[in-house]
Amino acid sequence: MKEISFITRRLLYGIVLVVGVTFISFLLMVYFGPDKTFELIGKNPTSQQIAEVRQSLGYDRPFLLRYVDYLFELGTLDLGLSDTSGEPVESVLARSLPISIALVVPGFILGNLLGLGFALFAAWNRGRWPDKLIMGASVMGMSISFLVIIIVLQVFLCTPYGLNIFPVRGWQVHDFSSYLHYVSVPTLALVLVTLGYNTRFYRAVMVEEIARDHIRTLRAFGASSFEILFRHVLKNSLIPVLTRVMFSVPFVLISGSLLLESFFGIPGIGLVTFNAITSGDQPILKAVVGLTGVLFVMALTLNDLLYGVVDPRVESS
Amino acid sequence: MHSVWQRLKSDHYGMGGLLVVALFALATLTVWTGLFGQGWAEVSGNSWESTSAAHWFGTNLLGQDIFQRTLFGAATAFEVGLVVTGFSTLLGAILGGLSGWYSKGWVDEIILWIKGVLDSIPFYLFAAAVAFALQGRPWAMHLAMIVTFWTTTARIVRGEVIRIRQQEFIEAARAIGLSQLTILFRHVLPNTVHILLVQATIVFVAAIKTEVILSFLGLGIQDGVSWGLMLAESSQEVLAGHFGNFIAASAALFLLLMGFNLLADALQDATDTRGAMT
Amino acid sequence: MLSGCGEPPSTQSEKPVKVYRHAMDGAPGSLDPAQAASVYANFMVVNLYDTLYRYKYLARPYRLHPNLAADMPTISMDGLQLTIPIKKGVHFIDDPAFENGIGREVRAQDFVYSIKRHFDPKTRAQGAWLWQNRIEGLDEWKSRGSNYDNEISGLRALDDHTIQITLTRPFPQLLHTLTQGYSSVVPQEAIDLYGQQLSSHPVGSGPYQMVSRDPVRAVLARNPAFRAEPFDLQTEGFDKPTQGGLGLEILQGRVPPFTDRLELEFITEDAARWNAFSAGEVHFIKVPVSQFDSVLSGRDPLALSPQFENIYQFRASQDAGFIYTNFNMADESIGYHPDQRQNDRNRLLRCAMVKAFDWEKRNEIFFYGIGRVFPGVLPPSVPEYDANGDSGYILRDLEGARKLLQEGEWNEDNLPVLEYGFPNSVTERQIFEQFRNFMMDIGYPPEKIRPLIFATYGDYQRAYSQGKVTLINSSWTMDYPDAENNMQLYFGPNAAPGSNSSNYDNPEYNRLYRSASSLHESPERTRIYRQMNQLLINDCASITGISRTLLFLWDKQALMVPDRSFLGGYYLRFVEILDSTTVVP
Repeated sequence: MKEISFITRRLLYGIVLVVGVTFISFLLMVYFGPDKTFELIGKNPTSQQIAEVRQSLGYDRPFLLRYVDYLFELGTLDLGLSDTSGEPVESVLARSLPISIALVVPGFILGNLLGLGFALFAAWNRGRWPDKLIMGASVMGMSISFLVIIIVLQVFLCTPYGLNIFPVRGWQVHDFSSYLHYVSVPTLALVLVTLGYNTRFYRAVMVEEIARDHIRTLRAFGASSFEILFRHVLKNSLIPVLTRVMFSVPFVLISGSLLLESFFGIPGIGLVTFNAITSGDQPILKAVVGLTGVLFVMALTLNDLLYGVVDPRVESS
Repeated sequence: MHSVWQRLKSDHYGMGGLLVVALFALATLTVWTGLFGQGWAEVSGNSWESTSAAHWFGTNLLGQDIFQRTLFGAATAFEVGLVVTGFSTLLGAILGGLSGWYSKGWVDEIILWIKGVLDSIPFYLFAAAVAFALQGRPWAMHLAMIVTFWTTTARIVRGEVIRIRQQEFIEAARAIGLSQLTILFRHVLPNTVHILLVQATIVFVAAIKTEVILSFLGLGIQDGVSWGLMLAESSQEVLAGHFGNFIAASAALFLLLMGFNLLADALQDATDTRGAMT
Repeated sequence: MLSGCGEPPSTQSEKPVKVYRHAMDGAPGSLDPAQAASVYANFMVVNLYDTLYRYKYLARPYRLHPNLAADMPTISMDGLQLTIPIKKGVHFIDDPAFENGIGREVRAQDFVYSIKRHFDPKTRAQGAWLWQNRIEGLDEWKSRGSNYDNEISGLRALDDHTIQITLTRPFPQLLHTLTQGYSSVVPQEAIDLYGQQLSSHPVGSGPYQMVSRDPVRAVLARNPAFRAEPFDLQTEGFDKPTQGGLGLEILQGRVPPFTDRLELEFITEDAARWNAFSAGEVHFIKVPVSQFDSVLSGRDPLALSPQFENIYQFRASQDAGFIYTNFNMADESIGYHPDQRQNDRNRLLRCAMVKAFDWEKRNEIFFYGIGRVFPGVLPPSVPEYDANGDSGYILRDLEGARKLLQEGEWNEDNLPVLEYGFPNSVTERQIFEQFRNFMMDIGYPPEKIRPLIFATYGDYQRAYSQGKVTLINSSWTMDYPDAENNMQLYFGPNAAPGSNSSNYDNPEYNRLYRSASSLHESPERTRIYRQMNQLLINDCASITGISRTLLFLWDKQALMVPDRSFLGGYYLRFVEILDSTTVVP
């Protein structure tokens, strides 16, 4: 009984969150958002023509009505047509999302795996020089702007000022070697920008884990480092690690790809969003914000539910 | 607080960080008091002049002095950092405190809900949306950051307040009949200052980094110059072989961020009593 | 065989696929002809669809040539009725929109339908301004509810292959409007099936058809059924002295389109575009100004660097349009003022700012010093340009400017605050900062010239259309090669939200504009236009202007004469690639 009420409460909370997310994004992106009227009217327009365009964009309808429509659009995934290209928003997303996933997944995985590796190594040698070296490097990594990393990599790897071995822009991927050709530099950029943060976070988790009594005992009894690290430390810290990984997915996908794709001219969801921001394409903007918000809330709710079922203590903390 | 300073003083890296931050703060003060950096907008030379006595870092496309612009950029960074850190810390402390004090009550629920909503929207999109909503107003970017950055502070403060609430001196305060809010603001929140301090340095770093990205996306500051704007300019220039803007802005940015990061680490160590014992 | 618009048709044949790769400096929005408002969209639309007329490939100044039309129009004595025959046997591309998926013949009725669409609010069309109040019955058709079953007296299909247009008043520019992407012929079946999504499913009868498109590139394939019309150098206006070295002679008698596939890369960042070109990823580029220094070995005459001479062809071209900064004349702080004395003072202030503006520097920094500066709105690219015009208007004169300020009793304290608007971009911001510097040189306090930055171009347009911007930096791209298109920029009734963003309203200018509206280019009209130009200069309504010199570079493999203007785009069918890179399909 208690479990059912817990699940219902979590689900209800998820719905309340979705309402909030969609409302805020709608209010900001649509109601106060960009106005495309004057870009879509011809030269020397009459006031009637202006009114016609506003009407066809739906700007003249009452706020609440438009909001309810928006909820329906999100619910039915019938997201309307892009104001810029006239393409259905779903097909824009269906075309661009896989590209973004292909773009950020290698960097995301590498960034986390390397982060974990360095973190384990540093935590195991806590206080000694490998730890200091790794932590120092992490702080340096955290102090470099994403933008700077991208510019430097582009100059050194993609132009005649440097090695000039990778393409400066584009995404003409048709097989694995062309994929590697296009994905390498963005991957490197993503790894460099996330590695510092990941290493620090994971190290903190590991340090705590290694300090636990049973690990100390194992160490005292002379278990091999490898066994302790991988069979015990890593296994026990899996939950915070996975939580971090899971929650960073939507943000890496949108925020990470936003810069990478607009810089490298890659037609993924980030570039689509960037173009929608700079051209004021509301149907795309509200779909992207709304959907990421909803997905995030769903992940959050699912996460809470799983924890709640697995570990009843979570509820009270 | 005294012992924190003692511990901080013995941390060489932390002191190094503090020194760098102090130097930049000094540079900022010279700009704010009108001593230096006033000529950032002025065309004082030809395009792409190299370094000279008149132009320490050379000039940009328009013939503006890159050194003056870098210096003014430091002031912009501090302005953004201070405003954002100040307001988001204040907001985080108040809302996080209320939330923790009334935990499980309706105040807590509402604050958690707002937090949840804000955390669910990808940050750059949210900033873009706020920038749209406040188009043309100079504080749009600051507001976007404040509105998103307070949530982390609030989460940490909430946890701490819940912990402090159960301590004996709070029971005592209740027993002598002090009002709820008095206890919260007079006796509980002051005990979270060390946490707020650490969190503030982290927010400061985030604000400076975010300004760079937002300025690059065209959602940043209106009038003036910032390292983000210089980097945005340089992204068009480096491929044509002009590196002045890029080197100046990225070096200044790196130094200041590094300083703050080292300082934040040292502060964390110095205020973390658990860490000190092990 | 059903091919839809998916697969390039040349995949069945054994011969290598000839690909022309083209770099564009911007991406098109909608490809629905009725919405083809940008240079980029128009560029693609005229290759996907048919227009009645086009411009000759090689002739400059531009000359009209029948495209879908079979001939030039027959015009009635009063000049108000045009009869246009169209070619027989032209078919739309195969598309599911048609019965059995097979493209049907293009008929005169399709043209009538396509123009009607601009007057149907449901289309969200942008070309109505070209024809409104000019074609008999067209505006009434709209006010009666845009019902496609209703006939329009001035726009009729006499039979399947004859169009008749009746004008309400003389409209010398009509044929130019029939070369634009806006006037492309669209089949009703496609609108019925795709509606607003026509943009992503172009169904035309042009030389190419769409294969794919995303935000960074589009791929077009040759329309295998495109009418066979052998290429003739003389008809296209070949000029041996200037075009002799380009190797075009071997194309004589062959049937365009010469390439099988067009790959259009949309690369907005200058540096990335240049890199793609130097790496050989594209055949053609409009050279970014930042690279002029490395591309050119001399400015006068313009000469290509020796390192490029053997691999690239090169052409400099005067942009058909110009860049200028308008004062908002409706703003009482700087424009018209009901009080005569204040009105005069405002004029003195504007004229002082015009004198403070340093065109030489603007040209040097942003146009490599090879843009053409001219007074007013008659740039060197139009025949009405006056080489002996009022050059004082474009010369910097700080002394004179200060004198005007004094005369108007302007000083640091009473100078008005100016809002200088621009859509966000690095270059726009630099242009603003340079402007502010020019004004600082006559003592204008920098804090009184404020940037007003907009996240999108549309928001900027809205703001200045609503009078919220005092200084409006704009660039005008001519819609057709006729100076009338520039003169209308300051015609009073075209005030904001029309294209007269300065809200300039001079009764004398308006009267002259009206009196010239029925005239073709002629000495008489030239006299009137120059007179109007001088009125504008005397009123100091705008700081104007500069016409860019564009540099084009292309691979010697490609035989072509590129054109990037709004009138261009027709040349793509005539591009030939030698020794083509073989693409395995």
